[in-house]
Amino acid sequence: MVTRIECIFFSEFHPTLGPKITYQVPEEYISRELFDTVQVYIITKPELQNKLITVTAMEKKLIGCPVCIEHKKYRRNALLFNLGLVCDAKTDTCALEPIVKKLSGYLTTLELESGFISNEESKQKLLPIMSTLLDDLNATGACTLPIDDSNTIHLKLIPLRKDPQIVQEYDVPVFAQCKEHFIKSQWDLTTQQILPYIDGFRHIQKISAEADVELNLVRIAVQNLLYYGVVTLVSIFQYSNVYCTTPKVQSLIDDKSIQEECLNYVSKQGQKRASLRDVFQLYCGLSPGTTVRDLCSRYAQQLQRVDERRLIQFGLMKSLIRRLQKYPVKVIRDERSRPPRLYTGCHSYDEICCKTGISYQELDERLENDPNIVICWK
Amino acid sequence: MMPSPSDGLPDERGSMYSQSQSNVNTSGDKTSPISVILVSSGSRGNKLLFRYPFQRVAESPSSLTAKQRNPYALNTTVDTLEDQDGDSREQSPLTDEQLVAGFSDIILATILATKSDMCGKKFELKIDNVRFVGHPTLLQHSPIIQVSKTDPSPKRELPTMILFNVVFALRANADPSVISCMHNLSRRIAIALQHEEHRCQYLTREAKLMLSVQDEITTMTETDGSPKSPFRQILPKCKLARDLKVAYDSLCTTGVVRLHINNWLEVSFCLPHKIHRIGGNYFPPEALEQSLKAIRPYHALLLLESEKALLSQLPLDCSPAMVRLIKTCSAVKNLQQLAQDADLALLQIFQIAAHLVYWGKAIIIYPLCENNVYMLSPHANICIYSSLAEEFSQQFSGSNLPSMLAKFSLPVSLAEFRNPLEAPAQEAQLIQMVVWMLQHRLLIQLHTYVCLLVPPSEDEPGMKDEELPLAARVGSRSLSTPSALSFGSPTSSDDMTLTSPSMDNSSAELQPGGDSPLNKRMTETLLTSLSEYERQVILNIPAAQNPEDLRMFARLLHYFRGHHHLEEIMYNENMRRSQLKTLFDKFRSVLVVTNHEDPIISIFQSPME
Repeated sequence: MVTRIECIFFSEFHPTLGPKITYQVPEEYISRELFDTVQVYIITKPELQNKLITVTAMEKKLIGCPVCIEHKKYRRNALLFNLGLVCDAKTDTCALEPIVKKLSGYLTTLELESGFISNEESKQKLLPIMSTLLDDLNATGACTLPIDDSNTIHLKLIPLRKDPQIVQEYDVPVFAQCKEHFIKSQWDLTTQQILPYIDGFRHIQKISAEADVELNLVRIAVQNLLYYGVVTLVSIFQYSNVYCTTPKVQSLIDDKSIQEECLNYVSKQGQKRASLRDVFQLYCGLSPGTTVRDLCSRYAQQLQRVDERRLIQFGLMKSLIRRLQKYPVKVIRDERSRPPRLYTGCHSYDEICCKTGISYQELDERLENDPNIVICWK
Repeated sequence: MMPSPSDGLPDERGSMYSQSQSNVNTSGDKTSPISVILVSSGSRGNKLLFRYPFQRVAESPSSLTAKQRNPYALNTTVDTLEDQDGDSREQSPLTDEQLVAGFSDIILATILATKSDMCGKKFELKIDNVRFVGHPTLLQHSPIIQVSKTDPSPKRELPTMILFNVVFALRANADPSVISCMHNLSRRIAIALQHEEHRCQYLTREAKLMLSVQDEITTMTETDGSPKSPFRQILPKCKLARDLKVAYDSLCTTGVVRLHINNWLEVSFCLPHKIHRIGGNYFPPEALEQSLKAIRPYHALLLLESEKALLSQLPLDCSPAMVRLIKTCSAVKNLQQLAQDADLALLQIFQIAAHLVYWGKAIIIYPLCENNVYMLSPHANICIYSSLAEEFSQQFSGSNLPSMLAKFSLPVSLAEFRNPLEAPAQEAQLIQMVVWMLQHRLLIQLHTYVCLLVPPSEDEPGMKDEELPLAARVGSRSLSTPSALSFGSPTSSDDMTLTSPSMDNSSAELQPGGDSPLNKRMTETLLTSLSEYERQVILNIPAAQNPEDLRMFARLLHYFRGHHHLEEIMYNENMRRSQLKTLFDKFRSVLVVTNHEDPIISIFQSPME
């Protein structure tokens, strides 16, 4: 999402004229009426100092952080100013807030150290600074500029993303884009250590064991990768897994780009590319009650050019299919026995096997023949 | 800071703390407001008339420093989501009260009572972690000041209010759709207040009351020395204050607000984010609206509450059409039949149905019939400790929910439950259970979708890469039933008899039987949307030798894009399920069939991400 800054302004409380805009880039952007309407939010009462204030008025959004420095040397015993940004009212300005806060911090420091703002001469340097800021931030989203001999401003627009989901030990991370594009050195040590083990088939618990990194650290590192869209999560692959299609499977037919991506991804290496019909038939062949093993035997012809593991992986990544998990629920129990801890319907087979260390087959054998337990698939 | 017994009115203090306790439950909830505030601006300047929840008055500066003296105490006034390690963890958030309590009455009055040029528009102000939203409204006063004729005192100029603002404070990270909903409510209340002010100066009277109580308390505080909350005293005296409190409480709990301003004007409002929830997720109103636009006459309306309960909730002056609809509504009737039975236009049915769905009183399903295939919803709560399990066993004694749900682990049609040895009462109960599970979003219905995909030829590899499949090519052709106004023959179950061919379909022009040149030409025209290669493959299928079958296939070609399910084709084309299934089987070498839920109405069973 493009966050375009329309204007940067510097406003202060003049000892005789009151609140005014001293500089604004571009000139005359903020009209007299606009400033009159919003000045109470720009040069504020002391209670609102150092708070990030965003006000929407007359189709514009103004973001600022009012600063008040009290000292006897100032006329009126205090210096009030505010360096703010103006955007269109519809813009999402969350990414700009840290910048405004940082700027107000810089200016406060400059004022306290060398009287940058109260000195009329040095204050004039603000204008070219604001101009550079506006241009750089709009062009590249980052700005580095020296203010004087000893101080430099570093600013960057960081877009906010959605909070990532919690990563469980039975989740499997898979690279959303080509692994080769990943620059190892930009990431932290933990991530670098677990990187070789992220292959789209190892689950978190396994990665932790093989990479020799503590489980929770792996979870956090993968969650971090998830936040930046580097990986997505799928479930553990087994030939006994059951999957079914979602309405999104039709996008394979409608959307040419997904088609291309899919056929490139799932075709066996070193062979002719698989046909769309074969791949689509395979996905549609996945249904409740059918295991991957069944699919392989039923559609052997279609699988000649398709790698079934990658087929499943792609389908899960793009939500063309979803996994049906088994949930054991203990329905009949006598009063004396303990309440079920894991067989409550909240924990899937994957989770139980991960937590207790027993294998899928073993769990199946235990539960299939237990009359007190029903199995729900969802 | 514990209240000492020597302070006056200890029970009042206690209740103030218990008030903040109940607010803790709603803190962190992004769809609930933190506070409701009423401000006004007039000849007496900017005033905060009322705010709710009440501020915790006991905080005095000395107590704050006492708390901070412990060098190991965490500084909780900074609300950050990450600690130094960059972990994003669940941390105890600032209670909402703390977020807004930091603003004194005076500063709120200053920032929320805007200048007149901001009136009549959405007001949005964000300060750190709080977002204020409102709709400042100008009041026009008649120049005549009402003075009682018997009042002997000299004419005093009554303090006049110029504008007022009903403001809701929200968490800053609230969803934009929540923010616009709150603004909507603020605007509605403002309209009602403006009207009442014009009619009988209601707002001025209430404001006067509120201010006088505030003055009273301030003078009392100065003499007594013990701080009290003036707003608590305002509540019993002032109807408007009580209305605002009710609005706030309702928004935090049910999401449905019904007020009677001055016991006269009704303001009703619902917050879709609270009403339409499954588990912890809500679905955004835009998705809801999109879904509602796409419903078809063959869908059905399923009420979420009993008919009696729903009727009792309607206001006295509600539309009789709605009452009729609710009375004739049933899970087995589709909207078309509902229109006939309730004697209302189909368009009206759509509108009322959408209204009921928006207010969370009904959902859209496919009408119940024995061929429907249901499966457990991926978002269903199957935990044995859930309240749903409890409710189920109360409603259907002798059955438990998980066992019933396990039966739907694999897709199963209702017909499979039919047991000729069982009493009919059992069957009726089964239907009841299925309806119950649908109402509680535990089941999804699966439909069959079919897509035309011709096997690629081995000797023309270039072709299959460049050519788009039929679905993408036929995209521009319109559907035979636009969403809201189709009048094809109704069919919702398989036992209907074929009526005369539907009136507006192009397929009606095809004469049944005979290989007349007219039919042949029709078939050819319909097949022109296919490429030469595809046409050849289809014509080579043994079933295509039968002109009837080929004709049917050509006629239905535009449905084979994977976006129309079997029941829809049945409805539009007036065909039986068995006919279609046979056709699919005959042409299975070029068709791919799959089952999944209907994306148009799946929103009601599963929230979209």
